Amino acid sequence: MKRATLFFLALIGGLFIYASFDLPPVGDHQSPAAVHVSPRYIESAYEETGTRNMVVAVLADYRSFDTLGEVLVIVIAGLAIVSILSARGPHCPLDDH
Amino acid sequence: MFGQYYHLLDHLAGYASWWLIGVLFLIGLYGIIVKENLLKKIMALNVMQVAVILFFLNTAQKSGATLAVLLPGETAGAVDVYVNPLPAALMLTAIVVSLAVMGVAMALVIQVYRCYGSLEEPEVLRRMHK
Repeated sequence: MKRATLFFLALIGGLFIYASFDLPPVGDHQSPAAVHVSPRYIESAYEETGTRNMVVAVLADYRSFDTLGEVLVIVIAGLAIVSILSARGPHCPLDDH
Repeated sequence: MFGQYYHLLDHLAGYASWWLIGVLFLIGLYGIIVKENLLKKIMALNVMQVAVILFFLNTAQKSGATLAVLLPGETAGAVDVYVNPLPAALMLTAIVVSLAVMGVAMALVIQVYRCYGSLEEPEVLRRMHK
């Protein structure tokens, strides 16, 4: 089991190294992530939102619906935790109900 | 002596952090597959999530750039002075999702321990089929 896993992981690691040469080098100013929409955030975040911290401007202003959905994720996780922890029944051999 | 290889080293240095992140991801995957304790599996899952988050944060880097907070006195940033703020914002969301995953996984582990009295996977399976 352990040997098969290591072989499998070596295969995936080889694929990672092969694929990494299609990524931009770290620190590249012209990498795809840095040229499309992010210059707009950097240049006009303060003017449009009045926030000096651009991460906060993106999180709470440009993409605030994303943050709202995040709250929904937390609520659903909380409901799931409550319903898991309050489960009782015959499926549980050690449970004395 | 090795002067003619310096440009090669520079080239590799641009990729070394991608590879280290890949190694971190593989450590997490190894833990998920091989470890038998359910809590250790969850910890390995968290290591994998951290590797993915670091991967995205690594795309935000610009060499010589500073944090995505406007320097005092400026009202509009220059693109080459600040790192890309978008991956940082998105990864804050990903951290929250990973927190939710951890919470649900911990609740399941608590319930498994309550029902079967063990967290070792073969032991739990043995008691499950009894």
